[in-house]
Amino acid sequence: MRKRKTSAWRSAAAVCALLLTAAGCGSGGGDGKGGHAPDKLGKGEGKVNIIAWAGYAEDGSNDPKVDWVHPFEKKTGCQVNTKTAGTSDEMVSLMKTGQYDTVSASGDATLRLIASGDAAPVNTKLVPHYKDIFPALKQQPFNSKDGRMYGIPHGRGANLLMYRTDKVKPAPDSWRAVFDDSARYAGHVTAYDSPIYIADAALYLMRAKPSLGIKNPYALDQKQLDAAVALLKKQHKAVGEYWSDYQKEITAFKGGDSVIGTTWQVIANLTKAEKAPVKAVLPKEGATGWSDTWMVSAKAEHPNCAYRWLDWIVSPKVNAQVAEYFGEAPSNRKACAETSDPNHCAIFHADDEKYFQRVHFWTTPIKECLDGRKDATCTDYAQWTRAWTEVKG
Amino acid sequence: MAETETRTRTGTTTTRTAVRLEAVTKEFGTVRAVDGVDLAVREGEFFSLLGPSGSGKTTLLRLVAGFEQPTAGRIELAGHDVTAAPPNRRDVHTVFQDYALFPHMSVEQNVAYALTVRGVRKAERLARAREALATVRLDGFAARRPAELSGGQRQRVALARALVDRPAVLLLDEPLGALDLALRQEMQTELKELQRTTGITFLLVTHDQDEALTMSDRVAVVRDGRVEQTGPPVEVYERPATAFVAGFVGTTNLLRGEAAVRVVGRPGTYSIRPERILLTDPAEPPAEPPADGRRTVTGRVTDIVHAGAHTRFTIALPHGDRLTVLRQNLTGLPQSARLDGEIGLSWDDKDAFPVPS
Amino acid sequence: MPAAPTSGSRLRLTALLAPPLLWLTLAYLGSLAILLLSAFWATDSFTSDVVHTWNTDNFHELLTTPVYRTIALRTLSIAVAVTVIDALLALPMAFCMARVAGRRWRRPLLVAVLTPLWAGYLVKAYAWRVMLGEDGVVGAALAPFGLHGPGYGTTAVVIVLAYLWLPYMILPVYAALERLPERMLEASADLGAGAWRTLRSVVLPAVRPAVLAGSVFTFSLSLGDYLTVQIVGGKTQLLGNVIASQVTLDLPMAAALSAVPVVLIVCYLAAVRRAGALDSL
Repeated sequence: MRKRKTSAWRSAAAVCALLLTAAGCGSGGGDGKGGHAPDKLGKGEGKVNIIAWAGYAEDGSNDPKVDWVHPFEKKTGCQVNTKTAGTSDEMVSLMKTGQYDTVSASGDATLRLIASGDAAPVNTKLVPHYKDIFPALKQQPFNSKDGRMYGIPHGRGANLLMYRTDKVKPAPDSWRAVFDDSARYAGHVTAYDSPIYIADAALYLMRAKPSLGIKNPYALDQKQLDAAVALLKKQHKAVGEYWSDYQKEITAFKGGDSVIGTTWQVIANLTKAEKAPVKAVLPKEGATGWSDTWMVSAKAEHPNCAYRWLDWIVSPKVNAQVAEYFGEAPSNRKACAETSDPNHCAIFHADDEKYFQRVHFWTTPIKECLDGRKDATCTDYAQWTRAWTEVKG
Repeated sequence: MAETETRTRTGTTTTRTAVRLEAVTKEFGTVRAVDGVDLAVREGEFFSLLGPSGSGKTTLLRLVAGFEQPTAGRIELAGHDVTAAPPNRRDVHTVFQDYALFPHMSVEQNVAYALTVRGVRKAERLARAREALATVRLDGFAARRPAELSGGQRQRVALARALVDRPAVLLLDEPLGALDLALRQEMQTELKELQRTTGITFLLVTHDQDEALTMSDRVAVVRDGRVEQTGPPVEVYERPATAFVAGFVGTTNLLRGEAAVRVVGRPGTYSIRPERILLTDPAEPPAEPPADGRRTVTGRVTDIVHAGAHTRFTIALPHGDRLTVLRQNLTGLPQSARLDGEIGLSWDDKDAFPVPS
Repeated sequence: MPAAPTSGSRLRLTALLAPPLLWLTLAYLGSLAILLLSAFWATDSFTSDVVHTWNTDNFHELLTTPVYRTIALRTLSIAVAVTVIDALLALPMAFCMARVAGRRWRRPLLVAVLTPLWAGYLVKAYAWRVMLGEDGVVGAALAPFGLHGPGYGTTAVVIVLAYLWLPYMILPVYAALERLPERMLEASADLGAGAWRTLRSVVLPAVRPAVLAGSVFTFSLSLGDYLTVQIVGGKTQLLGNVIASQVTLDLPMAAALSAVPVVLIVCYLAAVRRAGALDSL
């Protein structure tokens, strides 16, 4: 009944956020103030409140063998409270409540949290395992500002195409199956319920309609956005339901209500564990994806425990466990030696920067085109949000 | 049931039966509320079912209305068997004890309901509803809601509603029970008048003997689900068929066994109405010369209650028997008619009416 | 006539009533006021932070964007459909409970109707998700008749909401029917009315205020729901969802959107009040 708790919390948090922010007691608007990184760590506060993606803070309740929360609690004495978020937008709004210490933010949330001052810079010296993180993940535009790290890289991966092997034949190898060919599975197509999903359509259009000139799926001018929206509206006719709650996606695929659509590796694993005949593939167009960063709240009440969690989650053993469970590339290169499948890092291209060039990590669209165009104005996330509402109609 | 005597108000010689019950029995679980009742109400008659509460008289009325189905027996209306017919298939209407007016309808809509149900055109419907309201003297109240009326006015609306389409029989279930005394007496007169002018058969249920005796052409006294006696009020009062009837209809001095021998002078059970006993001074002879068959006794006054037009005396006789005497407050009393006074009592022997015990 | 309260008892009364009144004013009306107020603020589109500058852009967008109108109308239609369905279901059910079933059975039946209220909302909604699914019992039950289950979507939302709120309709209707004197039905039959006529002319007018009172619940609860539609609504978007997703992105817009159901419910309450239904609440 984990889902129940999540939703109840979600509504409660939403109400709190509404009241607090509306009353002007929430985080004030600002640009990159975000508090200070500590110079040294003190004693643990006894607890830490975490916002995480599903599968990032497992305590054995989904699978008794998958548990890296209890060992952490045992080792540090920091009690872990986990709030699972379904979208980056949810993470951002939860962080604004100031009730959480740390968050596993994706690239479309990190910059927003830095800009709003909700995330604090991180003193990487206090995270011993930081030194083993792949250099390609350090000092990136989505996790740093002015040369200061605002978090510890966690891992990265791609959004995959999942399908029911018994219902979808032949096996798809292109996103075309959920866009131009979606009518074949009318009523049983699923898609991720967030404005960021527009990038998936844009990514497909990069190949399918080169004339649009899309270089970066997060840098769309009005014309390009319109094309993506038109494609998504077409897809909408075939969609059975949208998902942002991973449990919902699992039951939909298990019951056959959804037979094809976007997914995460962890969901594919869990669905398979439920004995549903599903398979997840990385289509030939490449995919959108994520590169996640553990950030610390500027208003963290338990910073010492938060830092201990940051170090714990990127320690080789745990980082390997998370990476295997969630189905992503670990951020710690030593983790590659700890995975139960010795080929995990190879399969998930942990050190393969060429591969990740095909994966377009989630990032927040802004007016200045992220692809470097100076002659065009791009659509920002507010426009994407409105467009997404319209797509769903 | 003897039906040869034709004493109807309309004076027709051939009397038809409006309501007939044959061996009707009604059981609720193990309780037998109505126990093999035979009854015939004549057309155009004002007929009352008189009995104490729980005697089954209301159940009888509900059986006639069709709200209850008899366990056994047969019910006829105007010669047709209606035993199994639902209420809406019987040409009878009921005036309920609590009136049961529809609260969401105006007085006029209430009154016109029976016509509305039958699909009578609106203009005619309203005209007849007005007419019915006029007969119960409620003109001008058509647009009101029942909640805005007094108890007496509601009573009249209930009457108008039940009379609007002139049913063959009107059933009245303790219709005056909720009214105060003055209003009750006024309504008694009015009900009687209404019955006379409309000629509709009225079947009234009441526990009030005054009501039954003043209004009815005939009365049936009901007890424990059975009819004890049926007849005109005078007959029921003067010649009660059973000790129960004698006691329930009016007050009486019931004498049985030893007391009968001592007071009446012969064995049996006798009823002497208190107003039939005269008070005399014991020393003096009676004011009129005692005729044949007059009986005289002497006793002591133990209680005197003045009740307006008459006075009630309680007299103790030598052997401990007690007699109640009612005396109209007309002329001077015998001197000894005071508390503890020795007093003479006399009555016509015919007034000691034998009742089956 | 009660005695005029002494100053001491008046003080006690004030002390007794003050906390709930304060709560009502501050927590309830206050939060509503803040909600409406924040609808006139703006949002930084990048950080999602609320910018406290007074403007009516949100309402302008709300009124000029066709998709919001579509969603509002869809939400309204669903709320109306749920209310009508609940009324149609509750009337015969409440009638059976209050009038047909024996006295001994009334209480167990009432408990049976109320029991679902004890179960969690989400448990029930997820149960329906399983039942309405591709391999769920609803589809299986309809299969022999050559029919297909409704699947997830608007129909499913209407079904589940109608199920969830049904007790709120049955209860007032049951109470009204139980209060309706047997004499009324007898009087109607006595005056020549058949069962249907009695139902139409006597029973329905008597329970009308109760149905309206129940509809206040079914209507407003449906209007504000966003979880059921997430669980069984498939791709259906209702006001509640849009608000819920905007809360994380654009709080002032969410506040402006929330004004829509608030206005709808206030209009509905006003209409129902005119019909006199609130007297029986």
